[in-house]
Amino acid sequence: MSGDHTSSVISARVRHVEALLERRGLLGSGEIDRRIDEFLAGGSPVNGARIVARAWVDPGFAGRLLADANAAIGEVGLSMAGGLQEQRLKVVANTADEHNVVVCTLCSCYPIALLGPSPGWYKSEAYRSRVVRDPRGVLRDLGFELPEGTRISVWDASAESRYMVVPCRPAGSEHLPEDRLAGLVTRKGLIGTAAV
Amino acid sequence: MSRINDVGGMSGFPPVVEEPDEPPFHADWEAHVLALNGALIRAGVYNLDEFRDAIERMPPEEYLAASYYERWFTAITTLLVEKGVAAPDELALPRD
Amino acid sequence: MTDLAPGVRVRTRTTDPDGHTRLPRYARGAVGVLVEEAGLHPLADDRARGRGGTPRPVWHVRFTAADLFGSGDHTVTVELWADYLAPIEEDA
Repeated sequence: MSGDHTSSVISARVRHVEALLERRGLLGSGEIDRRIDEFLAGGSPVNGARIVARAWVDPGFAGRLLADANAAIGEVGLSMAGGLQEQRLKVVANTADEHNVVVCTLCSCYPIALLGPSPGWYKSEAYRSRVVRDPRGVLRDLGFELPEGTRISVWDASAESRYMVVPCRPAGSEHLPEDRLAGLVTRKGLIGTAAV
Repeated sequence: MSRINDVGGMSGFPPVVEEPDEPPFHADWEAHVLALNGALIRAGVYNLDEFRDAIERMPPEEYLAASYYERWFTAITTLLVEKGVAAPDELALPRD
Repeated sequence: MTDLAPGVRVRTRTTDPDGHTRLPRYARGAVGVLVEEAGLHPLADDRARGRGGTPRPVWHVRFTAADLFGSGDHTVTVELWADYLAPIEEDA
């Protein structure tokens, strides 16, 4: 298959460039493998789910989270300092009347150090081009039909902040403990393309 | 000049499609490209905006034909040449 | 000269700069409302040219879809350097 061929060629090119940079002293031996391991062990949607669950059960925390997310997530043992530099986290919360959706139209900005890699569709031209213009249609593409009367706020991550959505707490979850609540939250929910 | 990356509000792209059970990376080399870029930015070879700029300077037809991490690798090699770290023929695979 | 502050109406730059910028084309020359300051950072346009520059304010600016695209009932909040923004002097 041509796709496999392309992949093996670029794979060889990447290895070749890495070896060259090691010889030039710009990369340490084993540095790339270590960075990959760190990356995969670092961010995860589970972190976002923990933050959301705490916000659902603790209105005081929710208020602090919306006002200064970088400080507030320290309360659950998380931080935004895991990437190249500490980035500002902007958290927006859905309500019964208003639904938030996050995009980066210019590239693919996403809080990867906190939430892990973004999904492929988030990085696609299809999503980036259309969600600012027709968010309801894009949500429908992704299998999420928003009630007619709900207002939509789209956030374009065009500068230095990274964004996370707090979904609405599902009806019927009133008696669930915090860890079970966290289990309800999905990566799509944290971007605003699913209900939770 | 408006560049090909600046797609917000454009029409004509296909519907948004979700890949079921999508892995973090589709091939090892993609993870290597991500790590390589981070290492070069930390080493001060270039900064994140120079990296974005190098992606945006890709010819539109190449940008649209390339996968996400192919774009990254193109930008990395462009900047390694422009910053004087390596010559283009050093970055190409040796012929055998 | 009106200072930038939450609630102030601004118009974004209309020019199409020759190089990297973080003002998306769809939000150029548009009127929006400042929501909240989003920190201080050197201008991305300068950093892409290898220049440092002094940190300057970045804002969340809210636009209506109707103003941006001529249709739609949603809003789009774009994060923009103050360099891209000019306050609109409200006529009495």
